[in-house]
Amino acid sequence: MTPTAIISIVTFLPLAGGIILLALPRGAENAVRRWALFVTVLEFFAAAHIAFMPGHHFSMSGWAMEENYAWISTPAIRYHVVLDGISLWLVILTAFLTPLCVLISWRSVHDRVKEFFFLLLVLETALTGVFVAFDLFLFYFFWEATLIPMALLIGMYGHGRRIYASVKFFLYTAVASVFMLVAILWLYAHTGSFDFTVIQPWLRSHPEVAAGNAGLWLFLGFFIAFAVKVPIFPLHTWLPDAHVEAPTAGSVLLAGVLLKMGTYGLLRFCVGLFPEAARAQAGWINVLAIIGIIYGALVAMVQPSLKKLVAYSSVSHLGFVVLGIFTFTAAGTAGAVYQMLNHGVSTGALFILVGMLYERRHTFEISEFGGLASRMPVYAAFFVFITLSSIGLPLLNGFVGEFLVLSGAFRDRAIYGILGASGVIWSACYMLWMVQRVFYGENRNPANALLPDASAREKLTLWPLSAMALIMGVAPMIWLSSINPPVEQILKNVAPASHMAYVAGGQK
Amino acid sequence: MPGFHRGDYLLALPMMLLTLFALGVLLIDLLLDRSSKVINAWAAFAGLAFSAAAVHNIQRAFADQAARGEPSSPFFAFSGTLMVDRFAVFFFYLFLAAAAITILMSVRYLEVEDEHHGEYYALILFSVVGMMCMAAGNDLILLFIGLELMAVSTYILVGFLRRDRRSNEAALKYLLLGAFSSGIFAYGLSLLYGLAGSTNLQQISMALGNAMAPGKARVVPAVALVTTAAGLFFKIAAVPFHQWAPDAYEGAPTSITGFMSVAGKASAWALLLRIFLFALGPMRPLYVPILVFVAIATMTGGNLAALTQSNVKRLFAYSSIAHVGYIMLGLIAGTAFLPNPDGIRGILVYLLVYTFMNLGVFGVIASLRRRDIIGDELDDLNGLFFKAPTEAVLMLTFLLSLAGIPPLAGFYGKYFIFLALIESGHYALATLAVIYVAVSAYYYLRVANAMFMRTAGDRVPVTISPGMWAGLAITGAATVVIGIYPEPFLRMVNWSMHVAQNPTVAQLLR
Amino acid sequence: MTPVATPFFFYFLSAIALLSGLAVITQKNPVHSALALIMTLLSLAGLYLMLYAPFVAGVQIILYAGGIMVLFLFVIMLVSIEKSSREYQFNHQWHVAALATAVLGGLLIYVYVRGRGIFPNREAVLPETLNTQQVSLHLFNDYLLPFEIASLLLLVAIVGAVVMAKKRI
Repeated sequence: MTPTAIISIVTFLPLAGGIILLALPRGAENAVRRWALFVTVLEFFAAAHIAFMPGHHFSMSGWAMEENYAWISTPAIRYHVVLDGISLWLVILTAFLTPLCVLISWRSVHDRVKEFFFLLLVLETALTGVFVAFDLFLFYFFWEATLIPMALLIGMYGHGRRIYASVKFFLYTAVASVFMLVAILWLYAHTGSFDFTVIQPWLRSHPEVAAGNAGLWLFLGFFIAFAVKVPIFPLHTWLPDAHVEAPTAGSVLLAGVLLKMGTYGLLRFCVGLFPEAARAQAGWINVLAIIGIIYGALVAMVQPSLKKLVAYSSVSHLGFVVLGIFTFTAAGTAGAVYQMLNHGVSTGALFILVGMLYERRHTFEISEFGGLASRMPVYAAFFVFITLSSIGLPLLNGFVGEFLVLSGAFRDRAIYGILGASGVIWSACYMLWMVQRVFYGENRNPANALLPDASAREKLTLWPLSAMALIMGVAPMIWLSSINPPVEQILKNVAPASHMAYVAGGQK
Repeated sequence: MPGFHRGDYLLALPMMLLTLFALGVLLIDLLLDRSSKVINAWAAFAGLAFSAAAVHNIQRAFADQAARGEPSSPFFAFSGTLMVDRFAVFFFYLFLAAAAITILMSVRYLEVEDEHHGEYYALILFSVVGMMCMAAGNDLILLFIGLELMAVSTYILVGFLRRDRRSNEAALKYLLLGAFSSGIFAYGLSLLYGLAGSTNLQQISMALGNAMAPGKARVVPAVALVTTAAGLFFKIAAVPFHQWAPDAYEGAPTSITGFMSVAGKASAWALLLRIFLFALGPMRPLYVPILVFVAIATMTGGNLAALTQSNVKRLFAYSSIAHVGYIMLGLIAGTAFLPNPDGIRGILVYLLVYTFMNLGVFGVIASLRRRDIIGDELDDLNGLFFKAPTEAVLMLTFLLSLAGIPPLAGFYGKYFIFLALIESGHYALATLAVIYVAVSAYYYLRVANAMFMRTAGDRVPVTISPGMWAGLAITGAATVVIGIYPEPFLRMVNWSMHVAQNPTVAQLLR
Repeated sequence: MTPVATPFFFYFLSAIALLSGLAVITQKNPVHSALALIMTLLSLAGLYLMLYAPFVAGVQIILYAGGIMVLFLFVIMLVSIEKSSREYQFNHQWHVAALATAVLGGLLIYVYVRGRGIFPNREAVLPETLNTQQVSLHLFNDYLLPFEIASLLLLVAIVGAVVMAKKRI
């Protein structure tokens, strides 16, 4: 594994682009938009090409790529960033969604355009940093750094209750993160380093800490921060408000990427560092995940607001991810990671679609729509396609992820698999019912008759997402081949139980 | 060695230069007419620059000492009453920087208030002289006189807006409570003298070491500790000695509020560390419980009171009180007998970043002062982002730094102190502190909310003088740079921790 | 020179000091209060003399009684205070204050009784003729810097008084 600078380039390219964007003259808004699009597309190609770089094999286990520089000497904080199969695809997901966010905000953001795109680019840097950081301090640094741009995006560019939503989002996450800080500081005080590659072996060699009381408290400290982010029931109450009041681009990044920060953290740090504690606590965590799945689905079903429905569907889908992680099976965990990517694509696409509808009618209420399929056939086709992907129809991406998760859950405990599978049914319920009410049936509102169909820009935004949904559904091995090795490496540390030993060889 | 030596001259040169320039400002102010009063500011600035050069001279002497391979030892002057060690040099630079930024921010503010007199700058310089005595004093008398000089200068500066009733009231309250607490402080010092037979801090430490031996009646040292500590807690505005702070901060001219909250607090902390670490070192088992109680009370009182304030200056006064609580945790960290070096380092880092953050905040508030609007209500900040976007963004930076969000400077202050607490096993205190940090995020967000997400009350643009721009630029840059690249500043703090003379403190050598 | 009738003079002067102190706070007429304060200060000066500290006694009389108290009397007589000379001198919370004072006094007495052994049992060894010289030697050798800084303190106080009080500066 040769050291390279590509990780830092991919991390800080959006920030550099954002700083240059600030230098553009005020009023040259089209130039701002084009520059932002250029930077984000460039970032995507830079990130995507990492997967194909010669000499770096992501399908082997171990860190495929890392950079390790000294940053601060006292306390010893290093700039240690690492890419392996899991984080690579999350970085690429971020880079994939951001240009789409730029495209969707092309017309809908019309004042303070420069600040909007600057915040978007800074947010992209921070998000990428979270996924690649391997020094705990650096991780915390980037974790907190995502809060400010997101809170500003919601608060400055959002809808009616944006200030309430922004403050709630900020406070929830900030309060939960400080417990993680205490845990990180404890680890530093006892190991003298923040580096994951130092702390993990230390914990392995000190089983009295890792498996004992201290390990439990540390696990909980990290867990709380990630549980608020995912979000895990009952800490999810910030999510509907934040999602609904955020501007479309904000919602896409929030649902598509920010929530994955939590699940990534659960996998990498909670399970990676404290497998014994994770194993011991998995019981109630799985219960909460399943409650989240079912509760999210049931609440989504009764929502009158389209965006809130999609927001609660996020809660429901991410319950699957948590369930997959805490089953400690190779299938379940790989499915969880894959589901992270799926959810990014499909829910991101859903928010983009809802945003397009909002641009036309300035409302999210389902009752305001009806029979749109005849007016906007192309748009309706995309919407239905993405809905099917979100539900988990076979041949589309959702199916692969959910199936892997459920097979892992079933192997852990049959009841988990059964209840989780019911979640699939619930999600089909509310999504299809929503589609029926919005697109099919009678059009009661004359304003709907004049709505334009998807424009060229909008089609440009939706085609990549739909294509990904299909490709991820029919050829998941492209991704799973690089996800499986790091997943197995993480699971090797979890105390092997009888049902874990059977690696999911046939389900691929 | 009695008498006045050449070494004494060089070590007291920073103070002497400041005095000379202060006297000079007082004199040339008589020659200046109303429109050219800004020359006073230039003269004061020159004084600060010369004094900084003199401090740099002392720093070079330390560098020579290190180059010769000697262990770091402080320089004593004036028969051992003045002890200039690296710790003192750090604080000297801090006071000079704070005074310089204050002067930058004051000029236009005073012109608007129509109280632009030379005495203002002279008093700032005199108070810095007092602060230097507090930071470098090794003798109870010098520490006390330095404290009084700083305090009296500040009393006058707080009341400088002579026609404003709030300013008069603030000055009177501060004066009365300050004088009272100085009296209690002096009583404590007199007891310490009685126990030790000398006013030298090292002698007191040795005598207290004997007095604290098990089996001896400890009541008199305990009373000495409590009265001394009470006086000191007043100066740093710890709960329950904080009642003067919100009124004084609110009524004072905003630039002086900034100066008081930063330099005054730093000097009070320097004094507190001198006394608690050097003189009262053997009494640590007795004073840690007191500090724990006061720290918890301070964090609670400061944070909870700030939640409901509508006047920005009062809000930041309570936020200052809360920060004092966090700083105190740095002194608590450690065993019952020895302080944790990371804790002391945390205090120094915290004071360093706090200087810039808080001065920036009060600079922004001061720049809002216009002819008919005082500019210190929360509603005056409404929609600042639309009227003066750069200022609003700078203010947001300062607020986030105060709340301790990385990658800004304020995070490092809190980080070291929490690290020290966890290293020494005070988990409950650390958890309580982080909970309060989260609470504080709420009222800082309220201010940010007003600036960014509300509409402005009027459309009058905010004019900012070049001096204010310079001040805001320095504080803003410092907040961001220290946050992203703290290495040189952390090295500076590590350098200033070499306080090897006192054996109790020698283990702080890192 | 051996001291004469020391306990008698100590109790006598202390009694005057305490009674005058009480008079300061109970007298209605401010001029009477000020004069009572002067009596307290003079009796304290006498106590200092008994402790073989003629310098402090002299400074007490010259500066405190002669300078500061005269300033007090000037201000009192310049300001019209007929109203306050008829007011009751204690506010409504004097019960709480008396209790707090009693507690504090009890604490101090306890501290003194318990901690009596900790103070070195020193008799005054300096012949009183050298007291002032010793003070000045310390002041100008050991405490030179505080002495100079104290002069700055006085300057600042003067500047402050002018800034606060003068109509146009």
